[in-house]
Amino acid sequence: MALVSGPGRGEGIPDSELHSSKHVTYIKNLDTRKDELEYWLTEHLRLNGVYWGLTALHILGCPDTLPRDQTIDFVLSCQSDNGGFGAAPGHDAHMLYTVSAVQILITIDAVDELEKRGRGGKEKVGSFIANLQNADGSFMGDQWGETDTRFLYGALNALSLLRLMDLVDVPKAVAHIQSCENLDGAYGIRPGAESHAGQVFTCIGALAIAGRLDLVNKDRLGAWLSERQIESGGFNGRPEKLADACYSWWVGSSLAMIDRLHWIDGEKLAAFVLQCQDPDAGGFADRPGNMVDVYHTHFSLAGLSLLKFNGLEEIDAINSCMPKAITAKCLAG
Amino acid sequence: MEGKYSTDPEWASVTPIDLDDGSSSGAMPLATIAYPAEYLEATSYLRAVMAANEMSERALSLTKDVISMNPAHYTVWIYRAKILFALDKDLNEELNWLNDVSLKYLKNYQIWHHRQVLLSSKAHFPTFPPKEADFLMEMFAQDSKNYHVWTYRHWLVRHFRLWDQPRELEDVEFLLKADVRNNSAWNHRYMLRFGPRDTSLPDAGMVNAGDLSTAPTEKGRLSIVDEDLIDGELKFAQEAILRAPENRSPWWYARGVLRAAGRGLAEWEGFVSGFVSEGAVKSSHAVEWLADVFAERAGKEAEAVRMLTMLKEEFDPIRKNYWDYRIRKLDQAVA
Repeated sequence: MALVSGPGRGEGIPDSELHSSKHVTYIKNLDTRKDELEYWLTEHLRLNGVYWGLTALHILGCPDTLPRDQTIDFVLSCQSDNGGFGAAPGHDAHMLYTVSAVQILITIDAVDELEKRGRGGKEKVGSFIANLQNADGSFMGDQWGETDTRFLYGALNALSLLRLMDLVDVPKAVAHIQSCENLDGAYGIRPGAESHAGQVFTCIGALAIAGRLDLVNKDRLGAWLSERQIESGGFNGRPEKLADACYSWWVGSSLAMIDRLHWIDGEKLAAFVLQCQDPDAGGFADRPGNMVDVYHTHFSLAGLSLLKFNGLEEIDAINSCMPKAITAKCLAG
Repeated sequence: MEGKYSTDPEWASVTPIDLDDGSSSGAMPLATIAYPAEYLEATSYLRAVMAANEMSERALSLTKDVISMNPAHYTVWIYRAKILFALDKDLNEELNWLNDVSLKYLKNYQIWHHRQVLLSSKAHFPTFPPKEADFLMEMFAQDSKNYHVWTYRHWLVRHFRLWDQPRELEDVEFLLKADVRNNSAWNHRYMLRFGPRDTSLPDAGMVNAGDLSTAPTEKGRLSIVDEDLIDGELKFAQEAILRAPENRSPWWYARGVLRAAGRGLAEWEGFVSGFVSEGAVKSSHAVEWLADVFAERAGKEAEAVRMLTMLKEEFDPIRKNYWDYRIRKLDQAVA
């Protein structure tokens, strides 16, 4: 899946219609663009890109659009000997791509391929993730040591989907998340870092998976999150920043996790997101008038699904940004 | 394919490793434009030297070449750091080069972790290199809210114990003068003034934030309070509010300062009332502050509801349901 942006732009004019078939075509065509310069420059995001494209297609109700066998081949070609996955073949294993790999394999019901093809099964993936936990409960992205809450969320997300949570120290991870809380009731990427809606998602998501949302001051956090909605109807990620369609997911799902999604104006939010779509060539941009890309396409659709937009499959706000029908099956029993 | 590396005698001993993407269709379609061909060649040599864990000058310059084409290639940064330490290179020279790369790629994560890895070396940097602050201000001149740079700066403060270094606060004040709405600068100020300093404990966004036994309302509360410092910070926040009453950041900051000192919101009643006079409300945040003050005062609940209703109907109707929730909670408390 390429992450080449464009060709289209968000139309930027009010539009009450979701151009679903155009978005499907847009995602389908992404992989045919290998002759573009940007294809190579986004190599470090390729496995994420497959997850974004695949999940977007599921939300759009077209789950079988990407060939399953080729998807499995590609995902497994990104796996390293240590069990983790890199962004693309030949890249070192890293938490962010390992999480995408797990999400993809769960979505297409192919986790058993890890075992079948002699990759050491899901336990090997789980131990790669578990080995990245630090003594203070936080997680590194890889052996290089970069540490932030994106990796902690990813670890719990992937391990819970694989049902291997007992491989890590969950209470310590929870304590680390607590230390990322700021005076405004929201959370940053590391202790002491400024509150940021994307990091609120990772922190609240981790607490949700750990079953510790009782530690959150929901009214205070809900106030901060709902303040992210600005005049245009869209959400920004921090005070005094521009709105961006992807925050419809980061902010929206965080509000949903603490049962306060109704504190924002859903109609205005949907109207903003719809202005970010290209009605002709498909895809969503970060804001009206900008170039579309698959990342914003996925999170725009996920945001609209949260708002129960007509015709979209239901997304799971809590366990993972994946179709609810799939996580429900995976986590049942 | 004849390329820069395949024709260079220095690289003759290396057999490049091509990309294997597992695609059944055979080789990846080679791009027809020049740049990806160069990139593909360089990364094929990179795979070869990385597989051999080669620590050499030629490998070091190869990493620079790959980074210049694609700084988001995270693998190459790890390898580069290893070589720098293995060959005991001059890290100040590395920082100078890194400065240029950082200014060119403002949204890149890897650059900042690389920098942190370098500065973490006590052998090379036993004390804070003062030029670091100058460079960070150059970065902020490009984007004064750059999240990576601020997170790195927070790390620097803790690593080198810079909370009371005058330069830190000077830079924050310079940035707030330029843009009083810079929430990142406000956050940094809070961490300098009130953040936890005990490096034997895990870092946190407020003192005791990570301690599960501390009540939520006690988080951020200091055990020893310098009242002069508190008064000074409250005055600083008030001046900022007077410049831009609708700016959220100093209002949050003031709440954090009062909490650090264990003082209540009521001491600002006079100040905030100035923004909420009949017929002229200059700040919705002042209205909210008054609502909070009244909500805690017996017999003033109706006043609090009036304030919240104003917010709901006039100033912030987009969050109507939030304000309704606050009003309902007050009604329940009274009933």
